[in-house]
Amino acid sequence: MPAVERALFLSGNEAIAAGTARARAGFACAYPGTPSTEIVESIAAAGQLAAQWCINEKVAMETAIGVALAGTRSLVAMKHVGLNVAADPFMTLSLIGVNAGLVVVTADDPGMHSSQNEQDNRTYARFAKVPLLEPSDSQEAYEFVAAAFDLSERFDTPVLLRTTTRLAHGRGRVVPRPPVAWEGRRFERDIPKYVMVPQFARERNRLVLQRVARLRETAEQTPLNTLEAGTTDFGIISSGIAYQYAREAFPKAWLLKLGMSWPLPVEKVARLYRSVSRVAVVEELDAFLEDQVRALGLPVIGKQALPSNGEFDQEIVFAALEPYVTRRAPAGRRRPLPPPELVIAPAPKPREPLPLRPPVLCPGCPHRSVFALLRRHKVAALGDIGCYTLGALPPLLSMDSCVCMGASVGMMAGMNKALGRKAAVAIIGDSTFFHSGITPLIDARYNEAEGLVMVLDNRTTAMTGHQGHPGSGVHADRSQGPDLDIQRLCDGIGVRCATVDALDAAALRDGLERELATPGLGVIVAAAPCALTLAGPGERVVVDAERCNVCTLCLAIGCPALAPGDKAVEVSESCTGCGVCIEVCRRGALSLPGRGGDGR
Amino acid sequence: MNAVTTVALVGVGGQGILLATAVLSQAALADGHDVKASEVKGMAQRGGSVVSTVRFGADVASPLALHADVVIATELLEGRRAVDMLERRGTLVCAGTRIPPGGVLRGEEQYPDDIEQAAAARGIRLLLVDADGLAARAGTARAANIVLLGAASTVLPFSDAAWEDALEGAVPAKILEVNRLAFRLGREAVPSRV
Repeated sequence: MPAVERALFLSGNEAIAAGTARARAGFACAYPGTPSTEIVESIAAAGQLAAQWCINEKVAMETAIGVALAGTRSLVAMKHVGLNVAADPFMTLSLIGVNAGLVVVTADDPGMHSSQNEQDNRTYARFAKVPLLEPSDSQEAYEFVAAAFDLSERFDTPVLLRTTTRLAHGRGRVVPRPPVAWEGRRFERDIPKYVMVPQFARERNRLVLQRVARLRETAEQTPLNTLEAGTTDFGIISSGIAYQYAREAFPKAWLLKLGMSWPLPVEKVARLYRSVSRVAVVEELDAFLEDQVRALGLPVIGKQALPSNGEFDQEIVFAALEPYVTRRAPAGRRRPLPPPELVIAPAPKPREPLPLRPPVLCPGCPHRSVFALLRRHKVAALGDIGCYTLGALPPLLSMDSCVCMGASVGMMAGMNKALGRKAAVAIIGDSTFFHSGITPLIDARYNEAEGLVMVLDNRTTAMTGHQGHPGSGVHADRSQGPDLDIQRLCDGIGVRCATVDALDAAALRDGLERELATPGLGVIVAAAPCALTLAGPGERVVVDAERCNVCTLCLAIGCPALAPGDKAVEVSESCTGCGVCIEVCRRGALSLPGRGGDGR
Repeated sequence: MNAVTTVALVGVGGQGILLATAVLSQAALADGHDVKASEVKGMAQRGGSVVSTVRFGADVASPLALHADVVIATELLEGRRAVDMLERRGTLVCAGTRIPPGGVLRGEEQYPDDIEQAAAARGIRLLLVDADGLAARAGTARAANIVLLGAASTVLPFSDAAWEDALEGAVPAKILEVNRLAFRLGREAVPSRV
């Protein structure tokens, strides 16, 4: 048998590694964790695609997102508890979707061979509303990777590929298949898709709910879900390694094998119930499938017979279910209650078209200068969570992504790695930097990423009302504690760092251009206090009506203090004199006479 | 009015909607009403449209309502937008303050000038108040929100003592006197009680 001669003998993890290369992924990353570790280890050893260890699972997820957005297929692997660490980017990744495919491997550990808990991560698929694939042997582990990438791109979603210890570390034959045909994609700027400020996230959320409806149809049609006919009046629904135990324990039973186990294929379940009068669900840990079957109103044998903890094997499954095979079939309906179609609330439509008033950066906001500068450079600005996320909105349109706290840095590292140049910079506020921007910066240094992190340092947590943080040293009771200097922190971790006055346009421009031209990793701290914390009104910008021709260049920086007048731009009393508009005026019409010079 | 009365406070982030909400809620509580209020904070506050809701009555279940009996608007466009929220025979207490949003500043959109017609068309009583001018007369332009509460007090069923209680409770002592005056000027700006 030639197929046998060519067959490999691989662990589930090695099979996933081989499947990743076969699917033409260009990048894989992980933080090691049993039973997932050998996936990226094997990929790195084979050397067919870039592989790296990341500082933790959250940063690994964010790096993989950056790679996928850049147009390269990426895979990120972790053990079950690692997905808790990566849950923040994972949940919002579901909303932004992917560009090139992105597969998340979660390796669960029933029986806790090497773990502190036994959580069943299938719940994460339903939680994030993303498709869930569960291979049941090494051959499937190998083939499901390509299927997962295909689903990921077809449905613009991450795909959760779930294994368990016995699959990950068990070995079996793998017949190699030809590599899949796949061409790389390009990064396309798409602010409403990738910047999850509330107004865009609400719309993406509607798309996710529509995606669930389409995934339900796919679950019915996919060859990953098969109904295997039996010769007894007993049927089993199962997925993953538990399917193998069920198959061996009850070789004559009907078997609904779910390779794609969320969303549940209701019509296939109905077919099983038409075929047999007794149905059991065989699944380790939680009643994940069973609860969904029960929600269809169908009687089912599950966790009343089989343990909710620990691993199964064929003997456990046989002993637990054998009494039910001959017992009278449970009473109840045979036809599933149709699951309700999801109601998706539309965006509220005002009865009359009135000008909308989206939130904006305040007059005098020191973040504005950074966006006024960035919009003149051809780099992707991968952003983060804070007031500065407003830089994505008109008229600035100067931020390309916002996923979760701290995501900007890892995504930047991933995108630049995929594109092999400084294509992206990270934009992150000081409070967000302390929240979760330091670990990805250390990771970027460790993995020798190219890039620039711009820390917009206004010395406070402005968006939520000026709370303190480790950089300001201000405590919850407003008392002053020790403050932490970002410059010195960067020195300590060995990352080049320059601090500039955020309102000094020339210094900011020079700093950015120098960093973009210098290989390696750098940080620019753009420092200036939040305009809302300034003591009193500053000097107002003065307009020279002779020079101003209302060209509106200054209005394009989105300052609420500037308005077009009939003959010249008008400056309202909300102006703080930050001077950012002076820099963008080409006619020298704006000035702060009190500070000397007209800004030219 | 129904057993539960809904007041919506609308304006632009930074105009003191939250303080006005607190004073109004306190006044309702002081008069023995059950009260529920909901506020919007966070990103929406940065110069965006802000809506908060105060509902009072013998027993209030939901903190939220899409329709209001009274709207207090600290800005003209936001007041115009809130016309849709008002029940017929409701009252719109609106400042004459104009803060053009970005789209208007950039000339992409028109600032509406039809609040009087829109209110009339829906049978809404419109009380236009020179909130900025009266606040400045009281001593600070920042008290425009309290001027509007004073004007709204003419259509709300709270006692003078309740309003006084509320101002004392919610406004910092340093600026209490200015705000008392602002409240009175707003109240006097409305010609006759309803």
